Amino acid sequence: MSIASRLNDFLGRVSRLVLGGGREALENQKRKGKLTVRERLATLLDDGSFLETDLFVEHSARDFGMDSKKLAGDGVVTGFGTIDERQVAVFAQDFSVAGGSLGRAHAFKITKIMDSAADKKIPLIGINDSGGARIQEGVDSLCGYGEIFYRNTQLSGVVPQISVILGPCAGGAVYSPALTDFVFVVDRISNMFITGPQVIRTVLGEEISPEDLGGARTQASITGNAHFFAASEPEAFDQLRKLLSFLPSSSCEAPPLTQSRPPRQPLDDEVIPEDRRRAYDVKTVIMGLVDDSDFLEVQALYARNIVVGFARMEGRPVGVIANQPRYLAGVLDVDASDKASRFIRFCDAFSIPLLTLVDTPGYLPGVNQEHSGVIRHGAKVLYAYSEATVPKLTVIMRKAYGGAYIAMCSRHLGANFVVAWPTAEIAVMGPEGAANIIFRKEIEESPDPDGTRLEKIREYEEKFANPYVAAAKGYIDSIREPSRTREALAMVLRGARNSERGILVRRHGNFPV
Amino acid sequence: MGPTLTGDTLPIDSTEYDTEVPRDRLKPFSGMPEKRDVRAFIPGTIVEVLVREGEKVSPGRVLLLLDAMKMHNEVCSEITGRVRQVLVARGDRVEKNQLLVGLEY
Repeated sequence: MSIASRLNDFLGRVSRLVLGGGREALENQKRKGKLTVRERLATLLDDGSFLETDLFVEHSARDFGMDSKKLAGDGVVTGFGTIDERQVAVFAQDFSVAGGSLGRAHAFKITKIMDSAADKKIPLIGINDSGGARIQEGVDSLCGYGEIFYRNTQLSGVVPQISVILGPCAGGAVYSPALTDFVFVVDRISNMFITGPQVIRTVLGEEISPEDLGGARTQASITGNAHFFAASEPEAFDQLRKLLSFLPSSSCEAPPLTQSRPPRQPLDDEVIPEDRRRAYDVKTVIMGLVDDSDFLEVQALYARNIVVGFARMEGRPVGVIANQPRYLAGVLDVDASDKASRFIRFCDAFSIPLLTLVDTPGYLPGVNQEHSGVIRHGAKVLYAYSEATVPKLTVIMRKAYGGAYIAMCSRHLGANFVVAWPTAEIAVMGPEGAANIIFRKEIEESPDPDGTRLEKIREYEEKFANPYVAAAKGYIDSIREPSRTREALAMVLRGARNSERGILVRRHGNFPV
Repeated sequence: MGPTLTGDTLPIDSTEYDTEVPRDRLKPFSGMPEKRDVRAFIPGTIVEVLVREGEKVSPGRVLLLLDAMKMHNEVCSEITGRVRQVLVARGDRVEKNQLLVGLEY
């Protein structure tokens, strides 16, 4: 064959393969309101940066008539590309090819690109859109899933792993995303569950729609399985690119530096309501402290009593953990503990300093909480903060009571710098509760119990509901006004020798809690 | 009786905080499960009843077999006592949480 005809043959093969399941199947995908696999990669990656690998891989299944079936790319597209000029490894399942089902060759392509991500120390992004295991390949497809899970675990804490759910992801397939660091879902497109509505109806008689059971909104707000919720696929990719801008490519690097920018809305000294019972939005405080008032919230719809996410201080990425008084008074509970501890461990694994903002009355009381294991879940927060070796900075804004004061990155758990505002109340419990216990006898025996109670509450408030008792003992490092807090935090961060951590290859994985 | 939750305040250590409280998250506790009432933990079909009324039972004693999830599941006593009442028979379809056997101490 002449070179020209060889080239023609090659181009013919490529043009057939890049059509995936063919024009009709791609049209079907579009009719469902979804982008095609190649549109997705084009939207996600920098223009023209995609370098595809393993386009020509074929399956070798023989049973159930598979020996005569050709599946383009075996239902998954893999390769490298750049996002803001930084390399990433990607795989994207192609629903137009045999429903994106996972067989041996499909999984082999994925594990190959995962191994490359490990070698090159670059983030791994997986786009999931698959009907599940390729039943015709039997136990081979289970082997495929298992080998992916194994690599997800080995890669955890080494490179950031991100999953985007853009279609069904059911049964065993859900566990690859669950092992990764961040899961993105899109309204009315994503669907995740272990057992679907039909099985649940048959076995338990419970009726529920796929959307209610495991749709994007459910995964983002009820289960906490998803970290980012988007209204459309392009929005999800925008969020993903923004997330990556805060992260190092691997645990061997420091997080990327950008230029320092002042907050757009600097903090007012009266940002906190005087009355400790009054709620406010802690995100106002976060925006008032960080560069450009730019905050990327993680798990925004889940366990809203704690807010976590990424921001920058003088161009340097930080992970923010803040109690949210606006929701459930900012208490710590089972879900908030899981949310915070997982985020803290991610930041620690990737050398991102922690900034903790405290205003919490304590733990949520209730039988349900106790029986759900709030002791074990709450312990995760203590463990995560104590274990973390990144710079840990804490701002006590208002209430810091009892066990929750300790848990929210107190100096006792190894915080490097704790600053309290003049409105801070660092105490074993709130004045009302404390007065009722300490002065119980005096209140009971008083001719005017209500008057005495109020008097004792005021007495306790004056003596203990302030930052000065803790400051006198050196448990906090500094007391300053909100408007002068950013400069102090920035100075401490500037002095932190975080870069020395870079020589460690892997501190630990990011165990899904 | 615990404090009433109005949906916009949350009492913690005698302080009422103004805050958003999701009603479904704070269901009142309705008591521990009654161990004398043996209920179906899953819907299914009774394969076999293995005890009679009046019979003595101890923890772990299999009371009946329930066919569900492709398994014959053993439904056991959790207490030492006696069978007061058997409410189902072989072949019965039962719903989740349906009372199957009543025990007494």
